[in-house]
Amino acid sequence: MNVDIKDVTRKFGSAQAVAGVSWVAGAGVHGLLGPNGAGKTTLLRMMATVIGPTSGTLRLLDRDPGAHPQCREIRRRLGYLPQNLGYYPGFTIAEFVEYFALLKDMPPNRVPAAVASAIEQVGLGDKARAKLRTLSGGMLRRVGIAQAIVNDPHLLLLDEPTAGLDPEQRVAFRTMLREIGERATVVISTHLVEDVAAACSEVVLMNAGRLVFRGTPRDLVARGASVVGDGGSGDSPLERGYAAVLAEARR
Amino acid sequence: MRPATNARAGSGDEIDPRRVWLGVAGELWRREPSHVERLASRLLRSAGLARALVITPSLMLSWLVASLVVITVGAVATAATGTPFVALFAPPVAACGIAFAYGPGIDPAWELARSTAVDDRLVLLVRALVVFALNALIGVLATLASSAARSGLTAGAGSGGAQAVGSVTYGWLLPMTAICLLSLATSALLGSSSAGLVAGLGGWALAVVGGRAADGAFTAAVTDPGWRLVYLSMALCCGAGAVFALRGVRGPR
Repeated sequence: MNVDIKDVTRKFGSAQAVAGVSWVAGAGVHGLLGPNGAGKTTLLRMMATVIGPTSGTLRLLDRDPGAHPQCREIRRRLGYLPQNLGYYPGFTIAEFVEYFALLKDMPPNRVPAAVASAIEQVGLGDKARAKLRTLSGGMLRRVGIAQAIVNDPHLLLLDEPTAGLDPEQRVAFRTMLREIGERATVVISTHLVEDVAAACSEVVLMNAGRLVFRGTPRDLVARGASVVGDGGSGDSPLERGYAAVLAEARR
Repeated sequence: MRPATNARAGSGDEIDPRRVWLGVAGELWRREPSHVERLASRLLRSAGLARALVITPSLMLSWLVASLVVITVGAVATAATGTPFVALFAPPVAACGIAFAYGPGIDPAWELARSTAVDDRLVLLVRALVVFALNALIGVLATLASSAARSGLTAGAGSGGAQAVGSVTYGWLLPMTAICLLSLATSALLGSSSAGLVAGLGGWALAVVGGRAADGAFTAAVTDPGWRLVYLSMALCCGAGAVFALRGVRGPR
């Protein structure tokens, strides 16, 4: 399994961001849903090897991220888009994506074609030589996605990837995710249930640091349908399921 | 956005225009690495580490020019007055460079870079070493220039020139090492470039003020041999602190 998490916790001082999460995920697109402060970003950062767990075990791509050589191997095959993408304003799109391709230890002779492919996939081919400071928020998000996919990752972690994308780009992005999900594990943390409905094969719902639901989007819809009139608020069937599971978890 | 597989499609004798375009685009958008980056890539055996090194904020041309100006002013003042201004300026200038080499407050893509195969601690170490070496080189050149100028101004001082250079160099190189390690250890432990900067500048200010309080001369921090033991102890402690903060076998922190 590409993601194997057992009873993982993460504390920041006295605050517990993730409280005993266990989760196993293979290839496919997995949606991580939950309200603000549920622990989604912390869980994603642990999977991205940016921070370690306070307790519990984490195995990624069948390797232990706590061991240095294995961690490096994981990182070579990892794609990560953080919630707040930091960037160098003076870099062009191509330079930025190339920088991360090199940091991911890609063989230098493979980098130019991989950079071109990633930039084309996010539809920024005509802007490849534009400085990052000249781009809109949505375009920067797409640059972030390009650097995440440049190494053809086996584990792709995206935190709020569709923030700032217009509806047309969102549709194209979901298509791209589904394609990547056929051969890799894709985890997207999002507030947008329509992204989950359209692209994800599995939904994981977090609340207060805990995993409170795991199933297919259809299962989540069923949970909403079963509690109509009792916390089943929301505009879409999936939103009603989301609200129903959260209401149950908070009881 | 376009499906990923299209870019990789194409087999047999068919010509896939998309693949052709990606090959052309890759060459068109390719950045030509500078001579320095190529050399660094060969020496470090990592193109990623070399690229990370050449974009170090405190190795940018503007930063180097600013450091050079400060040390040159120190060299001119040293030559004119005999007071070791180079020795007084070199440690805090180098400490600022070390503090601004790498970290969450300096590198906008720090979080992203921490998830990549090139270890962020290795990036910090390589950057810090190069910043230190460059500042030491500037300091040595400034010391030599100011000593040569001073020898020319003072008749009969030529015989003691080499000894003076050795003494002054030893006088600032050790404090510079100690202050740089203090800056590195603080920024690494607290994950803040600003904290490293404050520690470096504050530590040096304390040394200068302490030297003046003990000896009555504000240059005592670089001229009094009694301080060397203090700098040596400080360098060892801060070096250990930096190693502790940057220990590299534990995976993600």
